Amino acid sequence: MTNHTRRRPLRIAVALAATLSLVAAACGGDDDDAEPADEPAEAEEPADDGDDEPADDGGDEPADDGGDEPADDGGDEPADEGAGGTLKVGILAECEGAFGGFNEDVVAGATLAFVEDGGATPNSTTTALDGFTGANVAGLDIELVGIGCGDDTADRIIQEVRTLVEQEGAEVVIGPLSGDESIAVANYAKDHPEVTFIDGIAGAQETTLQVQAPNYFRFHGDGAQWNAGIGDILHNVAGWETAAVIADDYSFGWTSAAGFIADFCGVGGEVVSRVFPPLGTTDYSSFVQQLPDPDEVDGYFWVVGGTGTNASLEAFVNAKGDLTGDQHAGNLFFSPALASALGPDIAGAYVGGFASYPADIESPEITAYLESADATWESFPAGAAGGEDSPPSVALSFGFGYGYYVAGKALNQALEAVGGDLSDNHSALRAELSSMTLEAPYGDVTLDENRQGIITTYVQQLVLDDESGDVVAETVALIPGVDQSFGGTFSADTPPPDRDNPSCETRDLPWAGNSIPVVDGVPQE
Amino acid sequence: MSRSPRDIAVALTAIVLIALPLFGSDFFVSFVMTRTVMLGLAASTIAFLSAYGGMVSLAQLLMFGIAGFMVGNAVGEAGSKGMKLGWHPWVAVVFALVVTTAVALLLGALSARTSGIYFLMLTMTYAVIGFYFFGQVTTFSGFGGITGIDPPGLFDGHPTRLYYAAVVLSIVAYVGLRYVSTTPFGMALQGVRDDPVRMSSLGFNVALHRTLAFALAGFVAGVAGVLNIWWNGQIDPTSISIGPTLDLLIIAVIGGIAHLEGAWLGAFVFVMANNYMRNLPFADTIGLTEARFNTVVGLVVLLVMLLSPDGLVGIAVRCRDWMARFRRSDDAAPQPPDAQLATADGGPTGRSAVPSHNTEGSIR
Repeated sequence: MTNHTRRRPLRIAVALAATLSLVAAACGGDDDDAEPADEPAEAEEPADDGDDEPADDGGDEPADDGGDEPADDGGDEPADEGAGGTLKVGILAECEGAFGGFNEDVVAGATLAFVEDGGATPNSTTTALDGFTGANVAGLDIELVGIGCGDDTADRIIQEVRTLVEQEGAEVVIGPLSGDESIAVANYAKDHPEVTFIDGIAGAQETTLQVQAPNYFRFHGDGAQWNAGIGDILHNVAGWETAAVIADDYSFGWTSAAGFIADFCGVGGEVVSRVFPPLGTTDYSSFVQQLPDPDEVDGYFWVVGGTGTNASLEAFVNAKGDLTGDQHAGNLFFSPALASALGPDIAGAYVGGFASYPADIESPEITAYLESADATWESFPAGAAGGEDSPPSVALSFGFGYGYYVAGKALNQALEAVGGDLSDNHSALRAELSSMTLEAPYGDVTLDENRQGIITTYVQQLVLDDESGDVVAETVALIPGVDQSFGGTFSADTPPPDRDNPSCETRDLPWAGNSIPVVDGVPQE
Repeated sequence: MSRSPRDIAVALTAIVLIALPLFGSDFFVSFVMTRTVMLGLAASTIAFLSAYGGMVSLAQLLMFGIAGFMVGNAVGEAGSKGMKLGWHPWVAVVFALVVTTAVALLLGALSARTSGIYFLMLTMTYAVIGFYFFGQVTTFSGFGGITGIDPPGLFDGHPTRLYYAAVVLSIVAYVGLRYVSTTPFGMALQGVRDDPVRMSSLGFNVALHRTLAFALAGFVAGVAGVLNIWWNGQIDPTSISIGPTLDLLIIAVIGGIAHLEGAWLGAFVFVMANNYMRNLPFADTIGLTEARFNTVVGLVVLLVMLLSPDGLVGIAVRCRDWMARFRRSDDAAPQPPDAQLATADGGPTGRSAVPSHNTEGSIR
């Protein structure tokens, strides 16, 4: 007891020290990535700024105050000075949850854009997560103020985006990755007109079609757009009359399933069952049991992603029998990697498109892009390689990394076009983003009136490679000019995709029977 | 009437919180401290039930969430999830608090006859059921949650006002819960905590006392939940999943689960660690990234529990006692640490007798 009493002051001191260190961190500079020389350590507003009406507070430059940018402050941002200032950029990445494995991929994607266009130097050659320095685009120094850590939930991404914008002072945010996150961020964007948001690779339809934030841009398709054409092929080529759909129970799963349903039903097919397991489910047995048996339906369409893809398919094998290429198809998650876990019988399965094409389509632009990635880092643990150290091109040739790359490229191209002019809440920049044609390795992209990408999508098929015997993806069709309305199926007035929407109806889709065949990686135009 | 050091410390803290927007940065006030005060308000209901009712509840974040979901359903007008009733925000608040309190009353009644670990497990079950209910039933939410919820015009675009609302409601809740503990009902509740069998034999309705305490705590947690959805603009089932549910308990434990004010202190430590850990010197070097937050919070809890099982408030009490002993030149026996906490403010004593003259008006 006596000793215990004597040690009490020491313990108290330790506890106080721990608390004080956190307080010190709170009072310190908010910038943990950029050169501290540009940033005073003090994160607090000037004392004379005690106004609880930030809107009246003109003139607090985020660069000088740790980035405590009021939400409704029209903002005298340093970039308002035009070219020659600093543009603070934040990246909303994904370090946890079902897509946490793609953290490196997406940060690398955004980083590569600044390496190519701004001369940025990554801070590490073996990970993208250490950020970059030295980027300058259109006379603006690009400062990476932070990398947000999402976990595919709206709750978490809002905390992260608020930290990037309100604490770190990000003026442009690239991201997020996942569907529910993007809806939340798009709604957040409406309350922050001083910040420009460029979607990473999130594919929920509602993000742009319903929310319509004027400062939120998406230079890729949504989940439905990526599945354009696959229903037509499954019905008219593979001969499916009926199909069951199993999809992640969240906005992207619904959107992706909606694309297949609209396409398949549009050409005369019938969706007889829809099953929606929660994203990140580990035991899919109860959900697989809800699906019709293989002799009751012509085929199954899988929209299960992240950590659940293999688990759901294994549950099907355990409950209903082998997976065969003629009875199973899926969206972008249905990759050749499945074969290593589930066997080569999956060959023959059709797969919906994504932001980047399968490896069988080559072009000088794609080759240069992938070489650029490999020249930027030695290697890093890419999600596209199952978390193994791999050449950067592995990550950047898959849609997650590519989506963020495209977002960065869009920002840079628009900045160059407007000469780095960020005045009036980025009005010139946003006008350029809205109207420009983005020149990107996997195809040019323009935006519609909702600032949503109009894209060329494709359908691929898993096939056995003649030489190696491995299962590989082969492009079978291209569909140019797919917009978010999906041939008039969706609009701002139609219910967003969910468990019940869209209904299964025959529709006159413009690409039905009109897709461009691809043979040996060459479109047959 | 003389004031205890506890009252003085709480009053000083309240003054600092009220004055904070005058010298704190916008982000610190509108994000860090608003979140701190809201979480503290929710965690204070855990402390209230534990300190005065002997019930450690894991259902308080569910109440917090139910209120948020009800506001989201009531005011929402678009999107793929929720009832989208399009009501006026203030009507939505009343609706949310009525529903939350009613659910708390129901769940309290269901669990009133359990105690100890069984009560804890039962309330954890409520939390899990709540998570899956709002996740699976897209009529009310779905796993994606409800987004794009704006606060009433009074707070829309005025984060400092929302901060003040959180502070004022926290002060009201703190004073109110302490007052409740001194009422006949509160004294009887403490009697139920200490010896339910004796209280029952004296004619008190033990289950009803517990149920009403649970409902009151649910109402206060619901108030915090309303503030949260106004502040956050969205809510999803993850907000009330088992992780955040345990976080709220951890907040109460860090602060001191036997002390109401400990809830806000614990919330402050929790939010500061959550938000500024990444800025600590050498944090990256030793792998202290955002993804390691739970590890850090676990270490903080371990540290606090080793230093003081009574939480940070307990450390403060010990500091005060140590300084008092240090000043004494005689060898008088020191007061027990909680002696001053058990004054007329109704603080828990650990063994609170229930005087018979205080049972007037109690529920029998």
